Amino acid sequence: MEEDHTLDVLRPSEVCNETLLSLFDACRTAVKEAVKNGANDAEAYGVNSKESEVIIENNDLKQSKSHKISSLGIRVLVGRSQGFSSVNILEKGRIIRSVVLAIKLAKVSPPDNFNSIPHKTAKIGLLKKIYDKDAVGFEPADNVRMAKEMLLTARSYDNRVSIDSGNFTSALLTHTVLNSCGVNLTENISLFSWSLMGMAVTVDEVSNFDFQIGSTHYVKDIDVISTAKQFANAVINYLGPRNVDSFRGELLLSPSAFTELVQEAIAHSINSNNVQKRASKFKEFINRRVSSDLLSVEDDATNVEALGASSFDREGVAHQRNLIIQKGILKGFIYDTYTSNKDGMKSTGNAGGSPKYPPIVSTTNMIVSAGSSKLETLVSEIQKGIILNRFSGTVNPVDGDFSGVVKGGYYVKNGNIICPIKELMIAGNIFDALKNLTGVSKETKSLPDSILPHTRFSNISFTASKR
Amino acid sequence: MKPGDEKPIIDRLYSLVSKSSGASYAETRYHCRIINEVNFSNGEIELMRNVSNSGCGIRVLIDGCWGFTSTSNISTDALKNSLNEAISIAKLLSGNKKKKVQGLAEVNQMARGLMQAKVKGNLENIDIEQKVKVTKDTERAARNYSEKIKSASCVYREILDHKIIVNTDGAEVQLYDSKPEFVVTAIAAEGNETATISEGIGVTGGWNDLFAKHAPLDYAILASEKAVNLLEANHVSGESTTIILDPGMVGLIAHEAIGHMVEADFVLSGSVAKDKLGQHVASELVTLTDSGESKTSPNGAGTIAVDDEGVGVEPVVIIENGYLKSFLHNRESAFVFDTRPAGNARAYEYDDDPLIRMRNTFLEPKRDTIDDMLRETKHGYLLKGARNGQADANGEFMFAFQEAYLIEKGEIKELLKGASVSGGAFDVLRSVDMVGKDFAYDMGTGYCGKIQPMKVDGGGPHIRCTATVGGLQ
Repeated sequence: MEEDHTLDVLRPSEVCNETLLSLFDACRTAVKEAVKNGANDAEAYGVNSKESEVIIENNDLKQSKSHKISSLGIRVLVGRSQGFSSVNILEKGRIIRSVVLAIKLAKVSPPDNFNSIPHKTAKIGLLKKIYDKDAVGFEPADNVRMAKEMLLTARSYDNRVSIDSGNFTSALLTHTVLNSCGVNLTENISLFSWSLMGMAVTVDEVSNFDFQIGSTHYVKDIDVISTAKQFANAVINYLGPRNVDSFRGELLLSPSAFTELVQEAIAHSINSNNVQKRASKFKEFINRRVSSDLLSVEDDATNVEALGASSFDREGVAHQRNLIIQKGILKGFIYDTYTSNKDGMKSTGNAGGSPKYPPIVSTTNMIVSAGSSKLETLVSEIQKGIILNRFSGTVNPVDGDFSGVVKGGYYVKNGNIICPIKELMIAGNIFDALKNLTGVSKETKSLPDSILPHTRFSNISFTASKR
Repeated sequence: MKPGDEKPIIDRLYSLVSKSSGASYAETRYHCRIINEVNFSNGEIELMRNVSNSGCGIRVLIDGCWGFTSTSNISTDALKNSLNEAISIAKLLSGNKKKKVQGLAEVNQMARGLMQAKVKGNLENIDIEQKVKVTKDTERAARNYSEKIKSASCVYREILDHKIIVNTDGAEVQLYDSKPEFVVTAIAAEGNETATISEGIGVTGGWNDLFAKHAPLDYAILASEKAVNLLEANHVSGESTTIILDPGMVGLIAHEAIGHMVEADFVLSGSVAKDKLGQHVASELVTLTDSGESKTSPNGAGTIAVDDEGVGVEPVVIIENGYLKSFLHNRESAFVFDTRPAGNARAYEYDDDPLIRMRNTFLEPKRDTIDDMLRETKHGYLLKGARNGQADANGEFMFAFQEAYLIEKGEIKELLKGASVSGGAFDVLRSVDMVGKDFAYDMGTGYCGKIQPMKVDGGGPHIRCTATVGGLQ
């Protein structure tokens, strides 16, 4: 029988007489009410953010946006069963209703002996250099000024440069974790990020796309001009591409291409949740070789050069520098409290996720150690190969198989960059490729959640498209 | 819902738009969304959550420049501040933007009143215990189907929405709807062979609408049976050949390869469809429509009554008997193209601004039967089970499918492993020579990604055409 769709849970009248709580009071209320309503342990994770953004589209400023957002995630344990609910209007009545829902979910959830909420440990020192007090005075007008400067710099670099899209974003956020086991942490973070995507256009040619991104925590380190020039230089250099026949040779990845092709496969494989589910290629590889000895990788949320930096994780566990791969040998996985309980380990401070989800194991900043070779030396040593700046395709993070198309690539022969290339298919396996890593550059680039050098791999298969 | 409950919010939104001094247009949208999700994987609870996300998005147009703000604090003062901020940031752009918005197209009628979707089995009346039990039992049934099933998961997710939209051009509407979805994934393995199959459904409607076609456990059997059968299947030979596509594959092509190309913002950015209006772009058997109503079959997951600019939905016939007839518009692009919008401006949550999006996108059914198509195919493949894929602005697409059946001399011969199908969207539609009289929506479990996610649907009848089959998955 059909009926009107009534949703009693959505009672809008309640919004009209509410007094909103501060983020800290909202977290405290949630935990207190959870325990009062039958939870043996409870945790609240709250975020307040103020974000301002200018969108660039088709060589013009398109739109200005501004958001003020709160969000609160409430996790409860009833016995060993977990429940989770999230609410974004920090009013007492709504928070209590969310707590009651979380407890109801816990009561219908199967118990799991590995569920727990972390206890307060030693005092956590807050990171310095992730909050810039000058960011408070960074106004929407400054966003417009930065977006315009980036746009004009790229366009004036060469009149063939065409910008498809881009943005400049500034954000201030506060995050708080409070639980029934003594954890009570809060900190402020300032974030700036900007990007450009587009191509070079001539009368008879449209170049490959390029995408450049920049980010920082500090107003003084905002540098849209360098990003715009790198972008413009890249797309102009993509003009006049030539076809290259199929071959097997070397692949030099830019830091951005590394994120598209390699980073996710490594992040997936070092995630203890995937290891425990037997969905990681690194499962049996602790203290064994997973790459050539040129590769060293850390997960490090305490590195303030990248935007993934903060003092504590989604559960209030202190962030730390986690050694993952040392000279090609796998040294450890990343854990949150749940997965560390399963393996009898300590959490590595890698509980991540927004207040809309319960905590889940996540990487923070992936840092690949710089090598000893200059970038120009890595290029000069290539007998026959491709420099790859963008990869469009798929990577299976479980088995490492990848296939896709080189976008924004150059053909290199006998150490010389010969020409930009038209689309070339590449396919292979990331985990095999890591063993064939033959060079890592001294130069590194900070991206939003990583700091990466240029990396060179041998014995990669390149296939020309049919023509 | 209690009548009258909404009045204080409507009054507040009204008061806001009336204070939007200096704006040629102002729009306020209150949106409360509840998400409930249960996910079992290999006998363990993977995720269980309840999320309530609500707030107000405010958009103003001043001197041809948009300003958009959102806030989760919907007190009178916070909303007033948010409106002032929207006005202020729009004004900031006005001295810096070169190509200003020239105007917003007229609308046949701005939506007013209360619109509630009719549902069978109100989701609020189905207790969480039942949702957990169904999800858990279905995952277990998929895993227990065969020893060859090594892994299984089952996800139930429901999205409950309440919106109130008030704008300066006369919209004053409130909307309630719900969109549940249910997906089972089974992974079979034997020796070095593995096969993964997902089966599921997503609808606009209630619990009984979700399970009107199949009972929950049927999805477990369907997924596991197919995964086990695929273990022994051979690979497809790569070739350009005759293919018969199931409704899900037809929906994927209609949405990804054609639909995005005719979204007016992509058209203005130079998509391959930009100079093709009025041209013959497909076989005369092809009529392709995007509709906010659930045409032909009920409960399409992309069903909406009103878009987020307050425009009541009307169907858009994109291709009619092979001729490209219309693009998809918001009010801004409709003004540029001197046409009327039909309700394609959609925002995902309150803090998203409306973008040009599809709804239910489908090929209209014609006269043929699947038996006719098979009988008249000397050599080719029947492709089933759409997976995701990619389509470029030039219309070139590559989509993966779960299963292929080899057809020889009018008969199905052999089940083959899934691979990918590729081609030019218009080339493939020109090659359509048979269109079935059956119909189904089959994209309701997925989300379209275009800056924001969005619930859409797609489908059609079985069709026969020519494309290239093969390649890596």
